[in-house]
Amino acid sequence: MLVSWHFRYRNSIMDRIDPRARWIFSFAFLISATLFWNARFLIFFFLTAIVWYTFGRTTWKETRRGWMLISFMLFTMIVLNTIITGGGAGGVVPPGGIKLWPDGFTLPLVNWHIRFGLTIERLWFAICQLLRLGSISMIFVLFPYTMDSRAYGATFKGLGLPDRLAYAMELAFRYIPTLARDLSVTLDAQKARGYELEKVKGGLFSKIVRIAPLLVPVTMNAIVASEDVANAMDLRCFGQAKRTWLYKLTYHWWDYLLIAFSILILVGSLVAVYGFKLGGFWVPGFFYQLFV
Amino acid sequence: MKKKSLWKFGTREVVYAAIGAALYAVLGYATNMLPILGSGNVSFRPAVVIPMFFGIAFGPIVGFISGFVGNILSDLLSGWGFWFWWDLGNGLMGLVTGLISASIIDFKATKSILLAEIFVVLGVFVGMGVASLSEMWVSGADMNTVIFANFLPAFIPNVINGLILVPILMVAYSAIVSRSGRN
Repeated sequence: MLVSWHFRYRNSIMDRIDPRARWIFSFAFLISATLFWNARFLIFFFLTAIVWYTFGRTTWKETRRGWMLISFMLFTMIVLNTIITGGGAGGVVPPGGIKLWPDGFTLPLVNWHIRFGLTIERLWFAICQLLRLGSISMIFVLFPYTMDSRAYGATFKGLGLPDRLAYAMELAFRYIPTLARDLSVTLDAQKARGYELEKVKGGLFSKIVRIAPLLVPVTMNAIVASEDVANAMDLRCFGQAKRTWLYKLTYHWWDYLLIAFSILILVGSLVAVYGFKLGGFWVPGFFYQLFV
Repeated sequence: MKKKSLWKFGTREVVYAAIGAALYAVLGYATNMLPILGSGNVSFRPAVVIPMFFGIAFGPIVGFISGFVGNILSDLLSGWGFWFWWDLGNGLMGLVTGLISASIIDFKATKSILLAEIFVVLGVFVGMGVASLSEMWVSGADMNTVIFANFLPAFIPNVINGLILVPILMVAYSAIVSRSGRN
């Protein structure tokens, strides 16, 4: 099994931003965007996310897989839950409202009369959901493609995570190719003995049990091998003094600017929502005019 | 036999946590292709037993890191982005299951396996519960949507995977424990 990271250097603006500043911005953005259902603010977040996304200089071909998952999630959340089944409004949309098709509508060709309870308010809520989830997705889908996997340990240490925790993360990144190779070798060895992971026959339980001949040897081998790594680390006095990191991170003036912008967004959002009560759901007049 | 410390996080635990996370990521990546229809961002992956088993074998912190970091890595490998609340849910699944680790000495004893199974159910309930509830905050979903579109499609397969595969891993691990003399 071939396992590879999606990151590559693109000479983009994102490549020049310190990963710590990126995480600070991303979390400030996440917290701020989720405070609002007011479309005026959500449009601001959406536009900010578009600008941020373009900083990554990723191509559609690269990010297609991530966007497929996001589209699936948005479809379930917005089309299925909010529009079709009438759920998914979480007490944000007030009950009642003006129906889009009060007398229902007839499907052409088959002449079926459909009674559909979708309201104008719910449709606007679906647009707000799209803006909010779309903007959050644009911020977070970029990480696999634009952040160097070697930087994770140093980044999280820089963000205040304890040494041991940050090192566990760093070590996990380094183990991925080794374990992927072990998995591949084990799969081949088991296949040589007649093992069929892809066998279609059998119910859910037998399918899960069929995983065991692959899962057990890979897991147990990894545990046995980890003993040597732990001994080697102990011999080198791991955890006895403050750790230094091979991957050095340095803040530049633009990173400070980004952090300041992140704080501004977060504080501004908190003041707007809790101080001026501007975060609530609201349907603009023009949207009613479109349907009434 | 020496009593196990529940919250110990020494050199061995750092390595086990890293191995657990990497295993979860690799096995999750290999089986990540099966999203559960109608459940948003949930997929069926037997690899979910890794944080549960690592929690039971090496403690709640190791279980948490295996689940939390493993899910991040798996999503990074798949190119699916970063979904903090689901990463946290996976971490909690390992942490809660790992709360029983100090009581498990003999990994193939029936009592140990039964205790582990109870904590698997509890761990998946808390982990997937927290992750699903966070969708109310992020997506504005209502409770019905959270339960039927997020929680149940994540809870049921994870619990089935855990109940079947965790005992198998425990029995296999007991052989290593007795062979190497570790506890």
